Amino acid sequence: MIRRMNKPHGQADVKKILNPLVEKWFFSRFKEFSLPQLYGVMEIHKRNNILVSAPTGATKTLTGFLSVLNELVDSAEKGILEDKTYCIYISPLKALNYDIEVNLKKPLQEIEEIAGKKLGIRVMTRTGDTTPSEKTKMLKKPPHILITTPESLAIVLSSVKFIDHLRDVQWCIIDEIHALAENKRGVHLSLSVERLGKLSSHMTRVGLSATISPLDDIARFLVGYEGKEERDCKIVDVQFIKDLDLKVLSPLKNLVDVTQDEIHDAMYSLMHKLIQDHKTTLIFTNTRAATERVVDNLKDKYPGHYGSNIGAHHGSLSKEHRFNVEKRLRDGKLKCIVSSTSLELGIDIGYIDLVILLSSPKSVARALQRCGRSGHKLHETAKGRLIVVDRDDLIECSVLLKSAIEKKIDQIHIPTNCLDVLAQQIDGIAIQEKIHIRDLLKLVRGSYCYHDLPKKDFDEVIDYLSGKFASLESRHIYAKIWYDEETGMIGRKGKMGRVIYMTNIGTIPDESFITVKIGEQTIGKLDEGYLEKLKPGDVFVLGGETYKFRFSRGMVAQVSASAGRPPSIPRWVSEMLPLSFDLATNIGKFRRLMSEKFCSGKSKEEIMKFINEYLYVDKNAANSIYEYFNDQFKYATIPSDKRIIVEHYTDDSGKHVIFHSLFGRRVNDCLSRAVAYAISKKEHKDVEMGISDNGFYVRTPSKINVMKAFKMLKSKELRKVLEMAIDQTEVLKRRFRHCASRSLMILRNYMGRKKRVGRQQVSSMILMSAVKRISNDFAILKEARREVLEDLMDVDNAELVLKGVEEGKIKVEEISTTVPSPFAFNLIIQGYADILKMEDRLEFIKRMHEMVLAKISLKEGKKMKKESFDYNKIFEESEKKKEEEKDEEKEKLKMMAWNLKRVPMFAKEEIIKIIDGEKKIREDFVQAVKKYKDEIEKTWPTELKKVVFEYLEKY
Amino acid sequence: MEISKGIEVVDLGLFIVKEKVLVVSDLHIGYEEELNKKGVLMPRFSFKDLVDRLDLMLKEVRPKVIVINGDLKHEFGTISEQEWRDTLKVIDMVSRFGKIVLVKGNHDNILGPIAKKRKVEVVDKFEVDGVCVAHGDSVVETKKKVVIIGHEHPAVMLSEGERKEKVKCFLKGKFKGKELIVMPSMNQVTEGTDVLSEKLLSPYLQKSLGSFEVYVVADKVYDFGKLKNLS
Repeated sequence: MIRRMNKPHGQADVKKILNPLVEKWFFSRFKEFSLPQLYGVMEIHKRNNILVSAPTGATKTLTGFLSVLNELVDSAEKGILEDKTYCIYISPLKALNYDIEVNLKKPLQEIEEIAGKKLGIRVMTRTGDTTPSEKTKMLKKPPHILITTPESLAIVLSSVKFIDHLRDVQWCIIDEIHALAENKRGVHLSLSVERLGKLSSHMTRVGLSATISPLDDIARFLVGYEGKEERDCKIVDVQFIKDLDLKVLSPLKNLVDVTQDEIHDAMYSLMHKLIQDHKTTLIFTNTRAATERVVDNLKDKYPGHYGSNIGAHHGSLSKEHRFNVEKRLRDGKLKCIVSSTSLELGIDIGYIDLVILLSSPKSVARALQRCGRSGHKLHETAKGRLIVVDRDDLIECSVLLKSAIEKKIDQIHIPTNCLDVLAQQIDGIAIQEKIHIRDLLKLVRGSYCYHDLPKKDFDEVIDYLSGKFASLESRHIYAKIWYDEETGMIGRKGKMGRVIYMTNIGTIPDESFITVKIGEQTIGKLDEGYLEKLKPGDVFVLGGETYKFRFSRGMVAQVSASAGRPPSIPRWVSEMLPLSFDLATNIGKFRRLMSEKFCSGKSKEEIMKFINEYLYVDKNAANSIYEYFNDQFKYATIPSDKRIIVEHYTDDSGKHVIFHSLFGRRVNDCLSRAVAYAISKKEHKDVEMGISDNGFYVRTPSKINVMKAFKMLKSKELRKVLEMAIDQTEVLKRRFRHCASRSLMILRNYMGRKKRVGRQQVSSMILMSAVKRISNDFAILKEARREVLEDLMDVDNAELVLKGVEEGKIKVEEISTTVPSPFAFNLIIQGYADILKMEDRLEFIKRMHEMVLAKISLKEGKKMKKESFDYNKIFEESEKKKEEEKDEEKEKLKMMAWNLKRVPMFAKEEIIKIIDGEKKIREDFVQAVKKYKDEIEKTWPTELKKVVFEYLEKY
Repeated sequence: MEISKGIEVVDLGLFIVKEKVLVVSDLHIGYEEELNKKGVLMPRFSFKDLVDRLDLMLKEVRPKVIVINGDLKHEFGTISEQEWRDTLKVIDMVSRFGKIVLVKGNHDNILGPIAKKRKVEVVDKFEVDGVCVAHGDSVVETKKKVVIIGHEHPAVMLSEGERKEKVKCFLKGKFKGKELIVMPSMNQVTEGTDVLSEKLLSPYLQKSLGSFEVYVVADKVYDFGKLKNLS
């Protein structure tokens, strides 16, 4: 049973259980036990499973370790310490060395000093970086406390010898469990812990978590099930012991009628002021690229203030760089540190007195985790400032602030029944031992993530692993495990199996980055998957600038500067955080309350007062919010959580139908694709759509009845419809690669060679179509679909929304506009676009053929036989082509300019301006050209000289 | 469909009408096995697909001579029992229709033993009437007016907005005053090389291909005109 602890143990009671040495050490360092310790230490001592949820800096880690240390020291003193592993500590981060040093090795050392002798308690770390010699050492003398990562734990569990040290583990501590539970690493870990529990049946499980919800499910995730019963677990909830000082700040009084540049400047000046008013500031951005940008801009704008005292910290940076930044932070040498997600987890980073969140962190839990990084000591206040960048952001952050203050934390999604992870773990088990599949299924269902696993799915995974999908004669090539259907036993197959498993273990998919360059100059990095979408001539955004893609060679993409041109390819969203469903619903609720006020004719003062009180925001913010709603109300109508507004509007690019459905991107991804699918099925055309947190739109060239399509959708059939709708998408292909790799269908490491991501992708596409021929329900393909629908998107909540519509709880209303309404504006420009492929491959080829024929006949001046042919369109296309050729010329010139040697950056930029036909050029550039005229004559390419000199003569 | 005087496109092959010669190219038997060897659990379908498709082509035109224009087997190196058997099966199946000629490709180091076992002729080029058939990995000397090559696995990426489809195609153009026809591969696993964006290997195709004509193979053959119209 899962139970909440309401009362901590007393100081004296906890003190009583400590060995005198440990007690002496503890009180030499601390005055008294902290609240988490009063709750936790005794329970862990009594071997009760426990989940401790507390903010960072609340002595969680020592809570976990104190009882363990206590018993080991006690045993060591009594001389009964055995050569086996007593405790396994698992953390998602490899970079835990420093924390372990502080919380384990140093205490041990200090206790030994007090004791005046060595106690012989061994603490060792095993991660992917551990050397073979260290591993051998561990094998001979096992660590009493083993520090490891989920991946290394799985390796240890399948290693022939080390496993013997793991037959009597007393405690398994999982740190930062909140960061694991919501992804497949956690699912993978949950099975490893079950495997460990099978070896050491009396093992106590300890989970340490930052702010998260729902705690009951996290507890179940930690302890799992014994048969049908959930195992006992106590929950300690001290998430809110730290005082919070959170505020939403708007860089400008008014966020309308201002340019992007004005907001930008105001934002930096606000940030600068905040940083200067505090000792050390930690800034969180939502993407890695933004992290770099903030550091650069602060240095640029305030050169006197920022130099070596500012640093960036994110996942793409090298390990050395990150360690260095962390060290400088702890040493108090940094004034400001900018991070994306990498500093959310509990690495000790020393004293931070202010956290700035740049734009909405999209979930209440994340906001609290981030802000909790300030005021590191338990009783200090966590101080966080959310800086908003536009009006949608302002509302989102304000509602988020309200939820945080009112302690309403949004729920996380824990993936379940992941067949790829299951396949990998079963392979690992089969390598280690012979096991009856009945016992195997019982072990698997012990995990929270697989408690409801259908027997059919389990059997399909066994079929896959035993190569049953292939014909009998070639089965030996595909089988990973040996399975005897008569006896029901499974086991190891072949000699290579173990090596393959050990070198391909894990759940984090390989992603690789392509270096983006202009000539020899490096601009940044792009995801390889994104590059696949680009074709020469496409304009895209990187680090806030637009570039035109030229070509790629190996791992380098060549681009040219293309300032000011609108991007033709949507920005990359894999990194973008989706708005949590709970927070989205709360924003929808706020919209509803506002709509009621406006509809009932309340005055501005009354509404302002309401905003002020409801959202805890200042007057400026309240004013901006009021104006935004007022615009929307006057121009159109206000959508809410109980009222989806469908807005029709038409422009040159076609007919847009905008759904104001503020339920977060994960839900809107489902709704939009389902609607697009319903339309395309009737019209047999591809449908374009845009998706954001606040809604979605579909766009088609001709008039269509979108409402009819929407009404056709039934909550019961949603999942089926979506399975068909995502069938041809890039995202499914990409996720299939990940799943194929996790289930060892595509080996990343094989025969000593590492397969590049691009190669993996090519193989996986061929593999996917082959697997479909075996069965459309092939276990790994099914898993890829599940991952897209449940983990990436949110089909369950999308069903709830549709159900609300069916039951009349959510109204759907249509309006028509000539310009998109204020609420629709951001959606149209920021939503990322995708297309639903409906047209059959053959139909598509035929249509493309007709188009080409039309083009040819136009050139030859012949008349087309087909009457439906659109001359205007073809004419426009050829005009566009001419334009592009002109651009091509310019691009060539720009390329030359970028490649000039011994020319400073600013001068290159001026040359680009000249090529683009701008008239305002910096005077110092003109002077420099005059000064170095001779050298320029000699070394520059002719075309470029011509352009620059012609310009100088003219002006 | 007639692609050149006296030469017709038959699915993925070419039929020289007067002499009743069917040319097919780049069968790449064992492509999936090769993926298996690289650690991809690729199930095998392509062999059956290949045999079925060849059978249809052979029954349609009933040739006297069948020219396999290089790369009968995929990849260099060792050959498994299965691949060996598959390769012989194709040879035997095709032999029932007429005489086989194997043109040597760059992947064909196993041709020797096979030819010996089934007494098949292996040549560097095959010439008939006004036509020369060569693999295309190197330039061959010939006095014929028309040259047919394989090797490149040409395909084109048809695209409209986000929608993209890669399809196999024939290319027809000029090479040193001769007419050059590039055949798509018979490989049933992959479409081939996108001639619009990828780097081409054959010494026959090192200059700009803009004026080459494109014939897409789908349910039938579609004349897409010049390649430059597509980019």
